[in-house]
Amino acid sequence: MIIAVSAASLLPRILPVALLSRHQLPAPVKRWLSFVAPAVLGALTAVSVFAPDGRLDFSPGNLYTWAFLPALLVAIKTRSLFYTLLTGIGVLAILNRFLGI
Amino acid sequence: MTNQERTDPKAGLPLQTGITDALPIVLGYLPLGFAFGVLAKNTGITVFQATMMSLLSFTGAGQYIAIGILKAGGAVATIIMANILVNLRYLLFSASTVPYLKDRVPPPLGALLSYGLTDETYAVAMTRYRNYYPTTAYLAGLNITAHLGWIGSTLLGALAGNYIADTGELGLGFALPAMYTCLLVLMIERRPHLRAAVAAAVTCLATGYLFPGTMESLSNIILATIIGATIGVISDQSS
Repeated sequence: MIIAVSAASLLPRILPVALLSRHQLPAPVKRWLSFVAPAVLGALTAVSVFAPDGRLDFSPGNLYTWAFLPALLVAIKTRSLFYTLLTGIGVLAILNRFLGI
Repeated sequence: MTNQERTDPKAGLPLQTGITDALPIVLGYLPLGFAFGVLAKNTGITVFQATMMSLLSFTGAGQYIAIGILKAGGAVATIIMANILVNLRYLLFSASTVPYLKDRVPPPLGALLSYGLTDETYAVAMTRYRNYYPTTAYLAGLNITAHLGWIGSTLLGALAGNYIADTGELGLGFALPAMYTCLLVLMIERRPHLRAAVAAAVTCLATGYLFPGTMESLSNIILATIIGATIGVISDQSS
């Protein structure tokens, strides 16, 4: 089981680099691939903030949405991973403490 | 990743940068890997097995799913199917690193190091590649450090598993979302990037809402990425 899970998780990561690196990718494909990263991060941010438990949660009780707003502001302002993490984690810790959740 | 560090864009990234870039990722993995170790131990998996799972697969969501299905007495085939779905998005991630790695990192090494490709290492590396050339050393520093963090936190969690039932909340749960948020901001240089990100976010949540199973397996990210990147290209051409 561990080996099969390992294969399922590793092959999609390894194969593209192993196979595609030999060939020159056509320009339109390269252009499309250059938008993959922003799209992936848009999707990951949305899921991790608005569906932290695997289900959509737009309720005020979803503390991640409250931590997200200051973290986003700090990210735009400082462009620093460190300050964004500090803000997000700090705000969530304070909310957890005062709301007792 | 501050502005001061962008002095010499032509320089290749050293090993040291890879390791320091991985530190916030390790911070984010700590609670997740630790919680996985605790859960695995509570499901009856040995410390050795739990650690081997993190060593050999390095798939947070996939490992949680495996434990969940094992606990519910599900079939191994179900675990494998779910893992194929969860990890399919890495096909797209990995393919999009190729134009950067080509001619800079030897393909066999690049492929081997892509073992350590995760949502987080991918996002951090792609942000770097905007301004710097990738190197084998950087990729090794970043991916291996992140992986060691994942393995180490799993081991700690599995060892502590006998004493802890609930990992508790110290705000660390927001480490990864905060990281995604910042990397997202760094990725958006032009309006088409923003449109790609927003389109992907909306598609992802809508798909997850309509088909809840895709949210749990994270396969909604695949559809969202395809639609988001396509909208980015189209809006780039029309503007």
